[in-house]
Amino acid sequence: MVNQLEIRNLHAKIVDGETILNGVNLILPKGQVHAIMGPNGAGKSTLGKIIAGDPSYEITKGDILMDGESILEMEADERARNGLFLAFQYPVEVPGVSNANFLRLALQAKKGGEVNMMEFYGKLQKALQTLEWDESILTRYLNDGFSGGEKKRNEIMHMMVLEPTYAIMDETDSGLDIDALKVVAKGVNAMRGPNFGALLITHYQRLLNYIIPDAVHVMIDGRIVTSGGPELALKLEEQGYDWVKELAVTG
Amino acid sequence: MELTSTLSRDLVLQVSSKLNEPEWLRARRLEAWETFAGLPYPTTRTEEWKYTDITEVPFEELALELPTGRASAIPQAVQERLAQAQLSGYAVFVGADLVHVELPEAYRQQGVIFTSLHEAVAQHPRLVEENLFKAVNWSDLVGTQKNRPENSKIPALNAALFTHGVFLYIPKNVEFDKPIGVFKYLEGGKLSGSRTLIVGDVNSQAVYIEEYISPAKVAPSVNTSSTEIIVGNGAKVRHAHIQLLGQGFYHFHRQRAHLQRDAALNDLVVNMGATISRAEVQSEMLGPGSSSEMLGLYFTTGHEHVDHYTLQHHVADHAYSDVLYKGAAKDQSRTVYAGLIKVEQGAQKTDAYQTNRNLLLSEDARSDSVPQLEIGANDVKCSHGSSTAPVAPEELFYLMSRGLPRHMAQQILVKGHMTDVLTRIPLEPLRQYIESIIEEKVRV
Repeated sequence: MVNQLEIRNLHAKIVDGETILNGVNLILPKGQVHAIMGPNGAGKSTLGKIIAGDPSYEITKGDILMDGESILEMEADERARNGLFLAFQYPVEVPGVSNANFLRLALQAKKGGEVNMMEFYGKLQKALQTLEWDESILTRYLNDGFSGGEKKRNEIMHMMVLEPTYAIMDETDSGLDIDALKVVAKGVNAMRGPNFGALLITHYQRLLNYIIPDAVHVMIDGRIVTSGGPELALKLEEQGYDWVKELAVTG
Repeated sequence: MELTSTLSRDLVLQVSSKLNEPEWLRARRLEAWETFAGLPYPTTRTEEWKYTDITEVPFEELALELPTGRASAIPQAVQERLAQAQLSGYAVFVGADLVHVELPEAYRQQGVIFTSLHEAVAQHPRLVEENLFKAVNWSDLVGTQKNRPENSKIPALNAALFTHGVFLYIPKNVEFDKPIGVFKYLEGGKLSGSRTLIVGDVNSQAVYIEEYISPAKVAPSVNTSSTEIIVGNGAKVRHAHIQLLGQGFYHFHRQRAHLQRDAALNDLVVNMGATISRAEVQSEMLGPGSSSEMLGLYFTTGHEHVDHYTLQHHVADHAYSDVLYKGAAKDQSRTVYAGLIKVEQGAQKTDAYQTNRNLLLSEDARSDSVPQLEIGANDVKCSHGSSTAPVAPEELFYLMSRGLPRHMAQQILVKGHMTDVLTRIPLEPLRQYIESIIEEKVRV
């Protein structure tokens, strides 16, 4: 078995709309953290949503393979139960279900049966502790009335409790102040290990000071145009995206 | 005694005589019958019935469901409800037979009356005669219904041929907050009709829940119900009508509350069953300072059709009313809501709100919503609003991306949609029960 999340020559468009991805190739080995950077409109967020199974996009060519198996035929819920997780850029507010109850339902769905309550609360406690958060967040309705920062932090808490094999974090850093950013990074770093791979989608190098990636990919116009180590992020921070845009044109 | 099965004046007389009714009640039944016989059924050309076609309803093809005198056991479905509902007193009907009634001795000693309507007619004739047909009868249409007399057709049928019912009287200054529950278990295949009369005397307080239950699938059946709620000065009544009848049922409910000075009604209608059901819920603010909260929840699946009509009739000044009806429709089902806030000329300082919101779970489901205002006073605060929208795909995607199967994600969104109504039901067991019905219906 190949222990990796592989995006193979992926082309995709909005259902009945414009083309967003123009042949993305990317391999995320299990146990590693990669960052995808790029200017607005490059298709980074779309890539994250497509991997997670957002039905508002249509794949016209290519494949997504998780540990060697194509997941294209799976709906979003099945992908999640198979170990995929997307931390949303804009988490949805859902009144009527408490944060903790929702997480318990999600964990049950993933395990395909009842969840041991002691074990569940143990996981919650551990996540709350890492994220320097108190229990009041558990009884509130899911994301309902949460501040922007609370929503982002909550996405990381969900990730920590659900323990995915591959997680995609869609601009989890945007809108966070430096303290919140550090806390979020703490959560992600706590997950790091041989059985966890993560793809960080971000505009800014800032996050990568706290979560040191194994690789950085730059996306422009729906394609990965160059890849490198953590130093690539620093170069982008200093020089901007113009030089890579040229790569995209010539490349 | 064998009774004729076709609807006729004779049948009315036979029913009245079988139930040993006094002359005044027989006379009222006959008046109702004359009205019924003289009116056409509402059609989709009747403005208030525009979206609800009842031509398939076999009003006149079914045998009338009469009391049989049998001593039936409490059906399993009702027993389960009784175990969960945390009631004080309760009554159970199987068909037209009252098979069980129970009221705590403490209430009885304070003068609370909770009996079958016919026992009340015999035991408390003046109290019943004074109030029966006062709020719901066959001739006093209000608001938009007024110009179209066929709106009285079904209530007239109910008044002429009802066979059973409940009477609840709460004396002056008597208060209780644990609900009294009435369960009507219908086996189907018949024309059934019942009435409920609730009288809350001055400064009294009561909670009353009425539930309609049947097997999941029945032969074509018609059920009509009329509920009259008289809320005296300073009295408070919390009332719920929960309809969970099976496929095959056509259910027609009209209720009207008369609210006197500083009286308060908290009303809830839940329609989650039947092939076609229509509930008309009306509150008349007759006394200054009265208030009426009117909540509605409905969820249709398959080919179900549910229709709601609300009326907030502000006759007195300084009164408050608030309608909040929320529903969801799945598969090929349909929901209809129409409501009117009518403020009479003298009803200054009226505070009236009306909101209807619908969530569509499939492309073939449909909701029609018609909120209306008719304001005759100049110093009032009134607002109305309605919306109908499909489930937002990004919300569904979010929940599914955490591993929840589609039906569970939908269930959470339906509950979320209804949350602001659910959180306004202070009766915890009832709220849990309604939530469990929603869960069950989403799954199917």
